[in-house]
Amino acid sequence: MSEKTTRRQFIDRSARIIGFAGIAGAAGLLARRATGNAVYQVDPFKCTACDLCRTSCVLSHSAVKAVNDFEKCGYCMLCPAYFDVMSHPDEKGIPAGKVCPQDALKRRIVGTVDEDDPNNNYYEYVVDEALCDGCGKCVKACKPPAGNGSLRLEIRYSRCVECNECTIQTACPDHAIVRVVTPGLPPKESPGDVEHV
Amino acid sequence: MWSMSSIIRSRHLWLLAFVVAVLASSALYAQYQRQPPDFGESYSLPTPEHPEPRAAWVRIFDIAALVAGLAAGAWLILKRRSRTGVVILSIGALAYFGFYRKGCICPIGAIQNVTLSLVDPHYMISLGVIAFFFLPLAAALLFGRIFCGGVCPIGAVQDLVLLWPKKVPQKLDRALAWLPYVYLGLAVLFAGWGLHLKIGDWQIEAGRRFLICEWDPFIGIFRISGSFHMLAIGAGFILAGMFIGRPYCRWLCPYGGILSILSRFAWKNVHITPNQDRDCGLFPEACPYGAIRDRRADRGSCLSCARCYEYCLGQPELRSPGGSDRLVQVKLP
Repeated sequence: MSEKTTRRQFIDRSARIIGFAGIAGAAGLLARRATGNAVYQVDPFKCTACDLCRTSCVLSHSAVKAVNDFEKCGYCMLCPAYFDVMSHPDEKGIPAGKVCPQDALKRRIVGTVDEDDPNNNYYEYVVDEALCDGCGKCVKACKPPAGNGSLRLEIRYSRCVECNECTIQTACPDHAIVRVVTPGLPPKESPGDVEHV
Repeated sequence: MWSMSSIIRSRHLWLLAFVVAVLASSALYAQYQRQPPDFGESYSLPTPEHPEPRAAWVRIFDIAALVAGLAAGAWLILKRRSRTGVVILSIGALAYFGFYRKGCICPIGAIQNVTLSLVDPHYMISLGVIAFFFLPLAAALLFGRIFCGGVCPIGAVQDLVLLWPKKVPQKLDRALAWLPYVYLGLAVLFAGWGLHLKIGDWQIEAGRRFLICEWDPFIGIFRISGSFHMLAIGAGFILAGMFIGRPYCRWLCPYGGILSILSRFAWKNVHITPNQDRDCGLFPEACPYGAIRDRRADRGSCLSCARCYEYCLGQPELRSPGGSDRLVQVKLP
């Protein structure tokens, strides 16, 4: 072993020790404030259903889908999120056009059916997730005062690939894509207590 | 007295406004329900389905897969000296981290998360991202760039498409090897601060953004979808990568830049011959990545692909009785 190799080895060893110390220090510093499960979600209070969720997701079929909260839904006969209320009505007075371009919102009659008067019946609206592309037209139409706001956009965790940076978050003009620590349901009650970036 | 009457008056005003509002919107209220109706027994409200995020064990599995990949890589590359093993490992990494996890959770992109989290203490960083950023760095201090060779899906896809390797002039190679640090600097700048410049009338105003994720050439291929520029750049890199060995890893990858610095001080690293003190230097073209310098595998630029072992006359299987034939067949340059 020449003196040169020994010096080289010494430098290598010192650099390794410094490197490990740096890595351990930085990792420890970050790990102290790390969260186990931080996931992206749509804050329905900020979302204006602008259509960028459909186009901005890295997936060709966006991970954002419309979801109907049945506890808030009015089960209306003339749902403003289902029917295009500005379109021309047919002979029974029902608008001919539909809001959803994908025909992903499905309508069926529920409860005790009154055959004679369609106005006296209730209708259930379910989003067909395979068809929904997350454009949010129904969400926009369901916003109060026209609707109850029962339809909202939600990042479906079964589809989201959890990118290092959510491209929808970058694109969203309303800063409505937030990172929530609690997994599961999107923020519901008070928008203030959601921790986000 | 005056104040009292004004309160009463204002309350009346408020009531009047309320009555007007109710009357005006009563038509609206008549059309649209405010509450779900009482269905009685005839119907029960369905519960909307909310898929849960990936469970904790799946996230832990990702980290475990990374650790296992790094360990297997170190063993295959440094101990077994097996090119076949490395190829199998990198196909596995490509399948799992690339096509299954769609290139998400990736150390290259994690540079930005780590930067932003150091700059902004409110930014949430997950343990998985921390592990993915730091574990390959620690592995590089121990064993060199085994992450590049066996575990990185982006490296794997380029390694597998390299069919007709052409030599790149050494000067060009070394000049381009500075690009990763330029890219790293830009990525860190944009991830942490964005760019706000004003020189006279000339002004740049750009917010924080994750450049590496926006311009990654290969995630579009893993996801089989993406914006046009991403897919076009990806196709370009794949085409170029058929002739030029791993262009992204050598001349662009910012994480590779960090690994290159760290692996210079690696505890164990690739030796072309099994005997560390003797390098024959017969086959400088054995490396398609230009990483053989002064007859040895350059610690900073060796991507641990294990190709050069197959050229080495000292490789154990070549010394076995069957191997003597191959000794004769070796072509000198």
